[in-house]
Order: sequence, then structure tokens, then C-alpha cells
Amino acid sequence: MTARSQRILFWALVWFSVLILSVPTIIVVGASFTNANMISFPPEGFTLKWYEKIALARDLRQAFIRSLIVSTVCLVVSVPVGTLAGLALSRFKLRFVNAIQIYLLLPFTVPLIGSGIGMMLIFGEWRILGSLWPVGVALAVINLPFIIWSVSSSASALDGDLELAASSCGAGRFETFWFVTLPGVMPGVITGGLLMFVLAMSEFLVSLLLTDARTVTLPVQIYNNIRSIITPDLAAVSSVFVVIALLAVWVLDRLVGLEIFLKSK
Amino acid sequence: MHVRTGGFPVLIMAVACLPAGTGPGQTLSTRHRNAAMPEIPSKDDTHTTFRYPLRWRIMDALNGGLDRFWPARMSPYTGWALIMPALLLVGVLVLGLFEMADNSLHTLDRATFRLSEAYTLENYQTVMESATYGRVITRSVFAAGLTVFFTLLLALPYAYIMVRTTSSAVRKALLVTLFLPFFIGQVVRAYGLLIILGTTGVANNALGLVGIEPMRLLFNFPAVVFGLVQYMLPFAVLMLAPALTAIPRETETAASSLGANWVQGFRHVVLPMAKPGLIGAGLVVGTLALTDFAMPAMLGGGSQDFIANAIYDQFFRTADQGLGAALALLLVVLGSVIVGIVISIFGAGTLGMGNRK
Repeated sequence: MTARSQRILFWALVWFSVLILSVPTIIVVGASFTNANMISFPPEGFTLKWYEKIALARDLRQAFIRSLIVSTVCLVVSVPVGTLAGLALSRFKLRFVNAIQIYLLLPFTVPLIGSGIGMMLIFGEWRILGSLWPVGVALAVINLPFIIWSVSSSASALDGDLELAASSCGAGRFETFWFVTLPGVMPGVITGGLLMFVLAMSEFLVSLLLTDARTVTLPVQIYNNIRSIITPDLAAVSSVFVVIALLAVWVLDRLVGLEIFLKSK
Repeated sequence: MHVRTGGFPVLIMAVACLPAGTGPGQTLSTRHRNAAMPEIPSKDDTHTTFRYPLRWRIMDALNGGLDRFWPARMSPYTGWALIMPALLLVGVLVLGLFEMADNSLHTLDRATFRLSEAYTLENYQTVMESATYGRVITRSVFAAGLTVFFTLLLALPYAYIMVRTTSSAVRKALLVTLFLPFFIGQVVRAYGLLIILGTTGVANNALGLVGIEPMRLLFNFPAVVFGLVQYMLPFAVLMLAPALTAIPRETETAASSLGANWVQGFRHVVLPMAKPGLIGAGLVVGTLALTDFAMPAMLGGGSQDFIANAIYDQFFRTADQGLGAALALLLVVLGSVIVGIVISIFGAGTLGMGNRK
């Protein structure tokens, strides 16, 4: 049905996009197995020595642990806050709801460099700059709209009569929330939590602004190392992120199905 | 409105004490089997020795606590109570912006290397008059424009094929290709591009095969724009796809049955209907590209600074907080104006938050 010329042109552009999107990833993973001391592609020989090297490298290991801590703080802060906010936006009638939505979208509308610098200044004022947990809080702030969006879209799919039925069967307000509402929005909470964790894991700019030499997280560490010299051990570290991303995509697909992002409202 | 009964335990005890045909012990044990609760002694004085299971007690305590701290008459404000933590959390960001605005109104005292006390607009004047910043801003805007153009050029067919394809496997593959880079993060992606574009990298090797001399593909303006396009493509496709889904396939069939070739059909049917999506995606890509830090820093090699890099340098190299804050605030205002346009065109529901059924 579609004209042949259209098919050829469109598919050519799509293939180009697919190439530029995936080749860097493939090259990074491939380069991490190279036997040579410099990055080369196609890789020369096959070795796992770079993985051994990064597993033994203290700075990288500590940066990785710090990234995990930061992401966990981000998760712990953002999941309750985002879940409650998502419920409030979708199940309660709020006055000034448009103003609230615009306010809650500020983390997306304010450029990251602006948010990062602003929080750096305010954390400096509060004398908490230099600890790790404020970084997690900051990442929770800048990605908060993701989990609010995810929970509220899950909550608007939940039938409100279920909650009424629970209360009329004698469930108290807390029981209704715990046994009916929360399980109902759980897919949204899990999706949102996953997004928050993985995005906090790979976030770069805000982490760069809020960390110092003692608190660098893994993406910042990679950035610092790239500036000095490019060696295959960095490719091995990067492959860790590729694995995390693969897992995240797989879980997201299982949970909600990637096709949900194609739906029109 | 429903009548509060005080939770499951009370309700069940009430049922158990009903003077029904069966004895109380029997009723209770039936109940308890249904509810899968711990064993209850089947003595005659059951309802005096019956012990609440722990779970019931916890639930009662929580309900009681809730009634105490948030009585039912407060329910009109429940929504506000639920949203308050989020408002406070985003408040950190707002406070930061105020702090930044305050900083931007003080110049750096070169003697003490602290911000001076007096309020002044001098920093803004410096930004406006400086030729360097003029060049940086022009470069950022120009790059953002190019990025928008190339990203949409690639994103439109991508989204179109992804939405229109009949094969669910193709669709899934295209989606995974989009989401993977999204989760991998900007630094690792830029690192991949560094490897590819390096002098001994894949791109130069490929060019060498067709007899072209190795050339410097990195640390120049096109490299940065290329990196930005690669970075923005997933965002653009994911914003365009719902807009294209909303266009019924029949409209195109109708156009072609009326004699339009595909170019005409695409130009006069698909593009106008996808216009809101295109504008939205374009503005989002434009803002993200305009304010980007990592691509110019890594692929530009210090020679292709954008506004964000200039801000960073003011804070961490020159240590002129005031000037840096002024620049950052200008960028925030610029970004907010662009996003304000998006919201006024599409409404705050654009990003799908709290869309009620």
C-alpha cells in the first residue's frame, strides 16, 4: 500500500537512527573485551582482564557503591512522596490544580544546570554539601515528575468504587489505603521507582555539581577519567551501565509493556 | 458516605456474637478458617479469651492513629496533605533558584573573593556586554536549532514506521533501541561516540576503507551537534509517537485514493495532523539541547562551550559565583519561556500528570 519510494526513504532514515543509537553501545561493550591497551575496534583478542581490573580498582568500586547509595536515597525519598502526590493529583479534587501541576513540573522545565547550581548554593547555605545523601535528595527532586506521572496514570485506571466497596465492608481508612488503593497503583509505583533508581544511577550533571573528590559517583568518575585518558577499563565500567539499562528495559517491558508509550491520550 | 465500623476485628466479633442458630464457638471457628487466622480455643467462653491476631491490632492501631491525627472531618484537606511532601520537595529547587537570584545580584569582591554586600545589576550588564558570552549564547542557540532540525528529520520517520508497522516484533525492536540509550546515561553514550569518532576510531577506519584520509571528527562543532542529535532522538520519538498514533490510517488511504502520491499525502495530511506533536517535540529538544552540558564538554573538547559550560566555568574555574548565577538565571528564564509556550499551546497535561478519567 505504501509507495516503494516512501518505504525505501523512511527505512533508510530509520536504519540510520538505529545505527547511531546502538552502535556506540555495541562498540563500548565490544571494546571492553579488547586485549590491547588502547581502545580498538574490532577488538583484538578476547579478555576479561579489564573487568578484573575495575573490580579491583578502589576508586571505581567506591564510586559504584556511592552511586548505589545515592540511587537508594533517591528511591526512598521519591517513592513515598511521588506516590502520595500521584494519588492526590488523580483521586482528589484539588483547588488550583493547574498551578500545582505547573509547579510540580518545575524540575522538568528548569534546565538541569539551573536546578543543579541552585541546589548546590542552597545546600552550601545549609552546610550539607559534601555529604552523599543530599545528592540523592537532589536527584529525587529533578526526576520527581516521572514517578508522579507513573503513579497518577496508574491511579486513574483504578476504579474508585473499589475503595467505596472496601469501606462499606468495614475497612477503616488506613486499611482501604493499604489493601485496596496501594495494590491498585502498585504497577505505577514500581515503574516509577524503577525509573527513579536507574535515572539516578546514570545521572551526570547534577551529580557533577553536588559532589566533590570524596563523594564522586560513578558517572562523574567516568567523566573525570575520560578527560585524562581513554583506556579499555572505562569501557568495562560503561558496560556495567549497559547491563543495568538492559535490565531496566526488560523489567519495564514486563511490567507495563513498552508499547504503552505509543498510546495517544 | 459510608459508616465507619471500626475495622475488621470489631465487625467479626459482632458477627460472632450474633444469636444465630449455631453456638458462638462454632461461628467463630468458621470465620477464622475463612480468614486464615491463628487457632482459637473452642471453649464456651470463646469471646472473652479470644485474642486479636497481631495484624488486626496493627491495623486497628493505624486506623486509630489516623483518626486521631487526621480525623474524618479533615477529609476535604486529605488531597492537600498527600501532595504536601511533593510541594516541599520541589520547594528545595525553588529555594535554590531564589538563592541563585540573590547571588546574581552581588558582584565578586576581587579583594576577598567573596560576594560583596551591595545589591547591583552589574553582573547582568557584564553578561549583556561581553562578546564572549554573546558568542557562547549564539553558538548554543544555533546548535539547538540545528539539533531540532536533524532530530525531527530522523524522529519523524522513526515514529511513523514504529506506529504504522504491522509487525509487533519490529515495533518492539525499535522501542528497545530507543529505551536502551535513555537508561544508559549521557556520559557513557558520549564515551561511545568518542571511541567511534576518534582519529583511530571506527568512523575513520570505515572512511579509510573507501580511501579517505583519517580526519579530525572530534572536538568540533559538528561533533557536538551529532552528539546532541543522538542524545535527543529518543525524547523526540517518544513525544511524536502518540501524536502519530492519533492519526487514523484511513486518512492516508483516503488521500491516496483521491490521487495524492505519498509525498503529497504526507505533506498535506500527516504533517498538519502531527503538527502539535512536532512543535512539542521540537521545543523540548530545543530546550534540552540549548542547556546541555555533557556533549559540548566531552565532544567539543573545551573549544565548543555552550551556556551551561560557561556557567560551570564561572563557578568552578573563575569562582565568580555572582556572574555564574546571573548567567544561570538568564538560562532558566529562557528555558521557562520556551516551556511556557509549550504549556500554553498544549496545556499542563502535556506530560500526562494527573489526567483524570
